[in-house]
Amino acid sequence: MSSDPGPIRIELARSRQGVAPAAGAAAAPAKFAVRGLDFHYGDTQVLHEVSLDIPLHRVTAIIGPSGCGKSTLLRVLNRIYSIYPRLRASGEVLLDGENVLDRAYALNRLRSKVGMVFQKPVPFPLSIHDNIAWGIRHHERLSRPELQARVEQALRRAALWDEVKDKLQRSALGLSGGQQQRLCIARAIALRPEVLLLDEPTSALDPVATARIEQLIEELKGDYTLVMVTHNMQQAARVSDRTAFMYMGRLVEVDATETIFTSPSNRHTEDYITGRFG
Amino acid sequence: MSGDRANMRYGHRGDPVPGRRVARADGAASPPAASAVATCSHERRARADTRNDRWFRGLLQACALLVLAVLLGAALSTAWGGREVLLGQGWRFLGSAQWDPVTNNYGALAPVFGTLVTSLIALLLAVPLAFGIALFLTRTAPPWLRGPLGTAVELLASIPSIIYGMWGLFAFVPFMARVEPWLSASLGRLPLIGCWFQGPPLGLGLLTAGIVLAVMILPFISAVMREVFQAVPAQLIEAAHALGATTWEVAWQIVLPYTRAAVIGGIFLGLGRALGETMAVTFVLGNSYAISGSLLMPGTSIASSIANEFNEAVGTHRSALLALAFLLFVVTFAVLLAARLLLRRMTRREGLR
Repeated sequence: MSSDPGPIRIELARSRQGVAPAAGAAAAPAKFAVRGLDFHYGDTQVLHEVSLDIPLHRVTAIIGPSGCGKSTLLRVLNRIYSIYPRLRASGEVLLDGENVLDRAYALNRLRSKVGMVFQKPVPFPLSIHDNIAWGIRHHERLSRPELQARVEQALRRAALWDEVKDKLQRSALGLSGGQQQRLCIARAIALRPEVLLLDEPTSALDPVATARIEQLIEELKGDYTLVMVTHNMQQAARVSDRTAFMYMGRLVEVDATETIFTSPSNRHTEDYITGRFG
Repeated sequence: MSGDRANMRYGHRGDPVPGRRVARADGAASPPAASAVATCSHERRARADTRNDRWFRGLLQACALLVLAVLLGAALSTAWGGREVLLGQGWRFLGSAQWDPVTNNYGALAPVFGTLVTSLIALLLAVPLAFGIALFLTRTAPPWLRGPLGTAVELLASIPSIIYGMWGLFAFVPFMARVEPWLSASLGRLPLIGCWFQGPPLGLGLLTAGIVLAVMILPFISAVMREVFQAVPAQLIEAAHALGATTWEVAWQIVLPYTRAAVIGGIFLGLGRALGETMAVTFVLGNSYAISGSLLMPGTSIASSIANEFNEAVGTHRSALLALAFLLFVVTFAVLLAARLLLRRMTRREGLR
């Protein structure tokens, strides 16, 4: 992940991106535009000149072998990496044309616009209601009924309301794994973000719970721009509109999901999606 | 729970071990004989395992029971030694602040008061400080600083209490004597709590003892907090930050509730130490059997009364000191029990776990 790619030649998708947006996304304007993004962990460079457009109201999947930098890329988009020391991103990440890497871009504003859901369901050690309300309270002052309504709205949107409406005051830790993950999605969308980042959102869930989450992602796409990191190529093929393939810290290829999975233009992409490595 | 796990681990001891059996059979001359030998040794092995297990479990039980026996023995023997005063003076022993070896009148109120007040001061000072230290070490300190600073805090715990006492008396008491006039002038003017900070600037006293105790219990509380803060899943903290929370909000509203049980456990570990601390308190508390409304006045504690007087105590006086010791058992036990109940009620009320 850290070392020089060496003899392996990787054709950067950057050039294609720069010229014209790829076919599948022609209709949708870019919500996020990543330009020449480098990322360093201490002295180790883990992202090399990544450039990528993330189209509005689409699901963009980022795939690639472990350690290729896909999670890192996702974690740059809401600057969550900045809670750790020694991590450094350079380049541009434009959200609606504004560079979010700029120190002047307030974290509060960024995080209310860009929500995130993690690999493991991580409900807070609070009641179900408070799990949702906690984030809202940070950004807005609402009256009790308004807050109540927002919580219900978020839970309905995450297809969890019917299962938890009678036990909102109970601990969220008592929910099943799949329910907890939907709670985390509800918690994120309760802030009314514009973008939702999903970091392998189903890798800790069973197939039934996974199917529910995938269905939910499908439903959410009308209102949100979704970026999903996944290990599971079938999932990327099922859920996403566009797929980006990353390898050794570089973006190798990005295109409409159908194109990536049927006729990838790069040999590494083809090798990866046909299971020859990774 | 640990019992269940032990059963799981040892539950399969009767199962055959095919690999071993084959390996032994290989070396023997004729297969049937070898098989018989193997079966025989296998049975012997199973019997030995059962026996060893029984012994080991017995041993573990004995270790645990020994603690109970020592605790009960110590409590009962102090109660027995103090029976003359406990029975002879009855409730007067608890309710009176008079401690007079000449007339053989003994009241434990002043030492109990001093013990509780100094421990409380220590907790009030040490807990927020330990929280800050633990948070800094786990969340905001640059990595190169975490190791050295953590070690420094732990070193505080390894300083013997006699050193704290000496340092307290020779360095800290003169310092406090200079600070106390200022305390009286500022905090002493406040309504309600003002009277706590009025009095002659002796340097010695409840407040000084409480501060020294705070330094002594600080490493224990912060070590526990640091340990459990480190165990909070990184994703939980990231999730909170991803919703826009500040470091303080994450610490106070997510990390602390998540680790509450262990944190309260750590606080009461510190409190337990503060209640029983002897040497350092004896040096700086002033040793006067008086209950004063001011924290600047000298007082005494259970442990330091005993340390001061056991040497010359005979007869009823000795009995009174043993009764004090028994009282310390009771006070400590009551405090720990209260902590347990508090924790259980909090857990139940919030319906967590």
